[in-house]
Amino acid sequence: MLAAMVDLARTLVRYRSLLWTLVMRELRARYRGSVLGFLWSLLNPLLLLAVYSFVFGMILKRSDLVAVEPYGVFLVTGLFPWIWVSTSLLEGCTSLTANGGLIRKAVFPVEVLPAVAVAANLVHFLLALPIVGVALVAGRLLGYPISGWTAVLLPAVLAIELVMVAGLAFALSALCVHFKDVRDLLGNLLVLAFFLAPIIYTLSDLPPRFAKVVQLNPMTSFTTATQDLLFFGRLPELHVWAIMAAIAAVSWVAGAGLFSRLSDTLAEAV
Amino acid sequence: MSPPAVAASGLCKRYRRAAGGYRLRTLKSALLEGSLTGGLASGEVVEALTDVSFEVAAGEAVGIIGGNGSGKSTLIKLVAGLLPPTSGELSVNGRVAALIELGAGFHPEISGRENIFINGALLGLSRRRIEQRYDDIVEFAGLGDFIEEPIKYYSSGMYVRLGFSVAIHTDPEVLLVDEVLAVGDEEFVHRCLARIEEHLAGGGTLLVVSHTMTLIDEICDRAMWLDGGRVRGLGSTRRVIDAYLESVAAREGEAHDRRRQSEEGEHATTAPADAAEEVARWGSGQAEILAARLLAGDERQERYHVHCGEAVAFELDVEPREELSDFVFGVGVKTPRGVDCWGTNTDLAGYEPRSLAGPVRVRLVCPELRLAPGEYTVDVAVHARDGRAYDYRRRALRFTVTESTSLRSIGLYLPDHEWQVETLAARTDIDWLSPGQQAGDQRRIE
Repeated sequence: MLAAMVDLARTLVRYRSLLWTLVMRELRARYRGSVLGFLWSLLNPLLLLAVYSFVFGMILKRSDLVAVEPYGVFLVTGLFPWIWVSTSLLEGCTSLTANGGLIRKAVFPVEVLPAVAVAANLVHFLLALPIVGVALVAGRLLGYPISGWTAVLLPAVLAIELVMVAGLAFALSALCVHFKDVRDLLGNLLVLAFFLAPIIYTLSDLPPRFAKVVQLNPMTSFTTATQDLLFFGRLPELHVWAIMAAIAAVSWVAGAGLFSRLSDTLAEAV
Repeated sequence: MSPPAVAASGLCKRYRRAAGGYRLRTLKSALLEGSLTGGLASGEVVEALTDVSFEVAAGEAVGIIGGNGSGKSTLIKLVAGLLPPTSGELSVNGRVAALIELGAGFHPEISGRENIFINGALLGLSRRRIEQRYDDIVEFAGLGDFIEEPIKYYSSGMYVRLGFSVAIHTDPEVLLVDEVLAVGDEEFVHRCLARIEEHLAGGGTLLVVSHTMTLIDEICDRAMWLDGGRVRGLGSTRRVIDAYLESVAAREGEAHDRRRQSEEGEHATTAPADAAEEVARWGSGQAEILAARLLAGDERQERYHVHCGEAVAFELDVEPREELSDFVFGVGVKTPRGVDCWGTNTDLAGYEPRSLAGPVRVRLVCPELRLAPGEYTVDVAVHARDGRAYDYRRRALRFTVTESTSLRSIGLYLPDHEWQVETLAARTDIDWLSPGQQAGDQRRIE
């Protein structure tokens, strides 16, 4: 198990240039032929943000449930990382099955394929980060006491989150080769995980018995940590860091272990 | 001595049959044993290769032949490292390039130029190396300005040419080729062959799968014949190819015999089933061809696969319904597409009919059948001198002519022939090896 997780990391580092080439292929190909091109990396999350702000911030607005202000800025800090996580997992899950031709044609470490899905979506997320920055500055200018120097710690949270997402993507992609059902299952689980994470509401706004359920969602600590750093301008509590690290470690070990057990048979089963 | 470039011993490859109700067992086996087929019963797996052992020395060219589904491509994929063997030992020494399925990682939306870099990276080339060879790659592919276009606008030939070009520029020591040359145009095929020759001349190793026997014969030192996943023959190219062609022809002959037997059985019991069957035979019925046979060899044995240049006889059993004073027997040989190759009849040969009553057996004997290798069909007829058919049977016989190593050419007809050369000037100097002559004992024509 331990060897597998180290091996996986080593392979990814060794084949980083192939990884990067494939990420670039992914990014180039995605918007090729569209008028706005790379701007869609910004527009997509922005439009989703607009929809959610409208629905949850205006139509369903109930101050007894969501007391946080300004709602749009709060939403952006939780929603954008979530989009990265969910698209990474969905694309990572199908990264092997969708690239079956590639796996059958060339001899290369297939580990790079789920990693490419995660990394490509990370790039999209990073490209959309300026929107988060603009939102925070705008909120500040409007006189809200949001954000602060704590935002510089964001990379630390993202790094831990990256390990978790990658580990899950490895596990899901290998399983999906054997059972295509995984993809559909995952789609539904992600919807559940979205609503059970404090993205459109805050944890403190919930009745305690619901808060407990939400605490069980692995995404919760990552979401609250990000919101703490960006929106509330405070440091996440120590135990949140510990939980995040534990989740990331478990997910990486499980993903690497499962993937290395199945990697010999992937080319044939895919 | 250097180690062999490829060495395999007891190689087996099993595939699971297409997804059934045993996905869970397959996953379990994959998790526990690293094999998809471990938990499956023999009915749930297909054995593509069984106990295959061979060695290919560095610098050697070996051709792999065999029918569809004989395991050729599986073997190539194992050597390429694209699939792991189920059991057995396989070692490959040197950088491998597999011209199997070309264009790994090609993305249709992006340009040929960018795809070269992606494909190259997947084949293990560093970006620097690709940049160095970029011009060669583009030139070899012969795409010109098209290199800047998204490859979804490429023709399938252009696509393959680009893939081939990148793969061949990885400087492989062991080159694996699986029937990819079939797609390119004549010029590109020549360029590829030249490149393969260059590879061999530079001491490279080659494993090539092809159904084009002349290609195998031309470039390979040895050939391996796979049949049903087992090695049926391994040795000198000519010998293995001949043995393979012989077995194919024998199999076709058997199939033909079976078909004939079942047809004859049907004729005895039922009327012709469909219109095509009816058109295949016509005539007034004043005489009937009871049977037609092809006899081959000096012993005149009934057989439907013959060698080029072998003795054959076309034999007809004919029974007139009434006494005939006007009758001609005829035989016509055609290709399956209907091109007349040769035909003759007793009228053309100058026989003048007087009378015929009662059954006869007529034989047209050719001491040497000078037909080029291929498939042929035979029309047989008995008719009047003005051409009115008593009984005309189209495609009454079907036979295959197989290549013999001493008589080879292209076309339909193979006359006796030899090559002769005379020098026309004192300065003329021609040097070559005549067929069958070894490099050591060359003679000069002066």
